[in-house]
Amino acid sequence: MVTTPFVAVLRKDLLLEVRGGQSTVALGALSLLVLVVLVFAFNPGGGEQGAEAAAGALWVALVFSGMLGATRAISAENENGCIRALLMSPLDRAALYAAKLAAAFIFMAVAEAASIILMVLFFNLEFDARVMRLVPAVLLGALGFAALATLLAGISSRLRGGDLILPLLAVPMFVPALIAGVKASASALGGAPMGEFALWLKVLIAFDVMFVAAGYLLFEYVAGEE
Amino acid sequence: MTAALIEARALGKSFGPTPVLRDVNLSVEAGRGAAVIGANGAGKSTLIRLLAGLSAPSLGGALLFGEPARSLRPALRRRIGLLSHQSFVYPNLTARENLEFYATLYGVADARAQAAEWLERVALGAVADARVRAYSRGMEQRLAIARAMLARPDVLMLDEPFAALDADGAALAAALVREAMSQGCAVLASAHSAGALEELGFAALTLSRGRLVHAEPSATRQSVARAPLARQVS
Repeated sequence: MVTTPFVAVLRKDLLLEVRGGQSTVALGALSLLVLVVLVFAFNPGGGEQGAEAAAGALWVALVFSGMLGATRAISAENENGCIRALLMSPLDRAALYAAKLAAAFIFMAVAEAASIILMVLFFNLEFDARVMRLVPAVLLGALGFAALATLLAGISSRLRGGDLILPLLAVPMFVPALIAGVKASASALGGAPMGEFALWLKVLIAFDVMFVAAGYLLFEYVAGEE
Repeated sequence: MTAALIEARALGKSFGPTPVLRDVNLSVEAGRGAAVIGANGAGKSTLIRLLAGLSAPSLGGALLFGEPARSLRPALRRRIGLLSHQSFVYPNLTARENLEFYATLYGVADARAQAAEWLERVALGAVADARVRAYSRGMEQRLAIARAMLARPDVLMLDEPFAALDADGAALAAALVREAMSQGCAVLASAHSAGALEELGFAALTLSRGRLVHAEPSATRQSVARAPLARQVS
């Protein structure tokens, strides 16, 4: 079987994660912590207000866990200077970005699946069609955040205090997707019409297209400079 | 006249106001070796990083295959092997997984078989399926040498290749370097002392406080080409 460099990098990242389990466990634990804190803070009732609180809590968990995942993914490459070996190799930098993005997306998707289950339990929701409507919104949010964080991690990993710089850069840039994600999720959980839900999904899709394309085109420059 | 595969032209590097390398000129042709000798902080690793394209020069040029090292095409990057202070291997992968991964990145035909062959060549065959985290420093260095040479590069840059190796390991590394040069590979290596590298026939260049202060007659820009190394190793 012929293995492409993209598949090799993705498989290596997944193998390291299975062996270490650091990203997914940390993402899951952080999501749990955020949801527990917010469920006590909001003390949500039922109805529309409860749906909005649950949606907000879910997306706060997504942002924090995504940040941790991005930092961990890039720090694994920094161990023993492996990122330099990758940059020196004939591997196309766009393929490297695509592989790192795919790995980050998979880790976040797994953590978000756990977060949705916890959210349903903590916020006294039902596992019904409304929760299923969350799935596309959360997946699009995870993809957008992974695209943005992977690109920015390429910059921050080479800087002193990069762990601090990553959230300072990523969170403000993610705000449009965050608002759209919370609105889409609240619409889904509140049983709003499909049109309203779809409108916010379109904003998420536009954000994803913009940052996946930007990362694909710019990663060569941000990761190559030293 | 044969073209230099590795070349520094008035190369300089500063970190902020502090110059680390100044006006370094050297060239190494196919099948030849040059050794950059110097104390800690002399600028050896910085020189190798610049020539490997991992760092941008502040002045002058770092060239590989006649092209700027910082902007090499993937096809040329495939022909470079670098052994750094850092081993470039993943501690949570096994030695075999590391070599198979890099062999795939470098487009080595039959990555699995090549990885197995190199593990045997650096005497790690018996522990090929142990995670690198469990390796000693010397074993990790041997794996790093195998990683650097796996794709049979035309240019090899070795930052203190014998560091952490015992006598057997150093002899093994020397034999591999000698073989690579006999096949036409240009090698630039750094070390604190010339000993083992001079035995390999390397032209010695002394680096002190970022300047090349002494070069053996065979190590200047013109005379590296005349060094009789290829004949010695063949």
